[in-house]
Amino acid sequence: MNDTAVAIDRLTFNYGKLRVIDDLSLEIPAGTSFGLLGPNGSGKTTLIRLLVGLLKPAEGSIQCLGRTPSSSNARLRGYMPQLPSLYAELTVKQNIDFFARIYGLRDRKQRESRVDEIIKLVDLWSKRKTQVMKLSGGMKQRVSLGCAIVHNPPLIFLDEPTVGLDPDVRVNFWDYFESLTRSGSTIVVSSHTMDDAAHCQKLIFLRQGKIIALGTPDELRSATGTSDATLEDAFLYFIRRSEEAQNVE
Amino acid sequence: MLSNAFSIAGRIINQLIRDRRTMGLLIIAPLLIASIVGVSVPDKRILDYTAPAMLAMLILFFGFLLTGISFQRERSQGTLERLMAAPVSRLDVVSGYLMGFLLFALAQTLIIFFYMVYVLDINFQGDLWQIIVFQAIIGVGAVCLGTFTSTFARNEFQIMQFIPIVILPQFFLCGLLWPVEQLPEYLQWIAKFLPLTYGVDGIRAMMLEGESLLGVIKEVGVLAGFAAGFVVLASLTLRRGTSG
Repeated sequence: MNDTAVAIDRLTFNYGKLRVIDDLSLEIPAGTSFGLLGPNGSGKTTLIRLLVGLLKPAEGSIQCLGRTPSSSNARLRGYMPQLPSLYAELTVKQNIDFFARIYGLRDRKQRESRVDEIIKLVDLWSKRKTQVMKLSGGMKQRVSLGCAIVHNPPLIFLDEPTVGLDPDVRVNFWDYFESLTRSGSTIVVSSHTMDDAAHCQKLIFLRQGKIIALGTPDELRSATGTSDATLEDAFLYFIRRSEEAQNVE
Repeated sequence: MLSNAFSIAGRIINQLIRDRRTMGLLIIAPLLIASIVGVSVPDKRILDYTAPAMLAMLILFFGFLLTGISFQRERSQGTLERLMAAPVSRLDVVSGYLMGFLLFALAQTLIIFFYMVYVLDINFQGDLWQIIVFQAIIGVGAVCLGTFTSTFARNEFQIMQFIPIVILPQFFLCGLLWPVEQLPEYLQWIAKFLPLTYGVDGIRAMMLEGESLLGVIKEVGVLAGFAAGFVVLASLTLRRGTSG
């Protein structure tokens, strides 16, 4: 089995004249929960959109499970966008069932059983016949997660999945992400909160489309040289370092 | 091969059926317009002459409006992007939309048609099924035109702004209000490039003169060409991987 789930080599992407991803190289090991951390506008969402094939690199290359992202290998990936991106008029079950069909679960019995399993997993069984428009924001996030993982993909991209969630639901989400990585899936999560960062096995700090730090949460904290440093301290430390390096150049 | 397109069409049908207010408006709006036309035209012979053209006009208008707004909503809500990250082709998406919305556009046409025939008592000739097939061809073009146009709009409001640009010129130049031959030459030339001109010519020939589909094969061919062109344009403008 390939030990690398995602391999990014000298990736560059521009929106018009604005460089959003700048000569970025990265390898994400298989079976890990990997965090893309950074402030708003640092390039997290653009990077995820590149990784799922919605955007094409201006330069460089991306390999997800050994393949360049395209529609022909989209079944290997799950994608939960930043917005819930659901069909408001349809019920919870109809939304998840639609994505199950689109991702190739054709056998009706198997699909129904998998959809029911996912609805229970995201703890929305009592709401399965409720139209999505009548759900709270947190419930919509859970439906969206269900749609992203219904086809049991080995590689899952989650763009700010815990935004707007209550703390207890956030903990449940992370429990579930950890169970997915234990079963061999690779999860790539973008976030701008350090709460999420602490749950990741490995993470990068992104700033202006560049990686300013890479490591485990403990490694990043200890790099500051302070024994009681938080991940926020670590992030600020690496920002200062990158600014100093820029000034030297 | 088209299983994803059928899934998308099924989802659209499900969505619209569950949206009761939209369903109500889909039925009431064409009946209201047909009634206004029926009541406002004083001479029965003029109504017989106007009704087929109105039928072609209304399927183009409602097909465009329904598809344009729905497709734009999918773009703004992010559901289209989510779909484009899935294992679907652009043709799957466009043909899925085509099938889903065509059903409603056709249902609207049938409602208007039967209302005009049985309530407003307009006379028509020709086979009913052939007339419906011809209307379906106009509907395909309308749905594809709506999908294509939605590419250029950033929100639903902008889709409405496209009506005076895309629909109204066709309304004025198609021969519905006055014969195309009486227009200035340059407008006659423009009218030749508008699908509704062929829709009105064809449906008038069928309903007023009893022509079959074969009798209006030129109009069928041109409308099918427009529809195919809009399908291709809609597919091409449905971007999956924007280069940066």
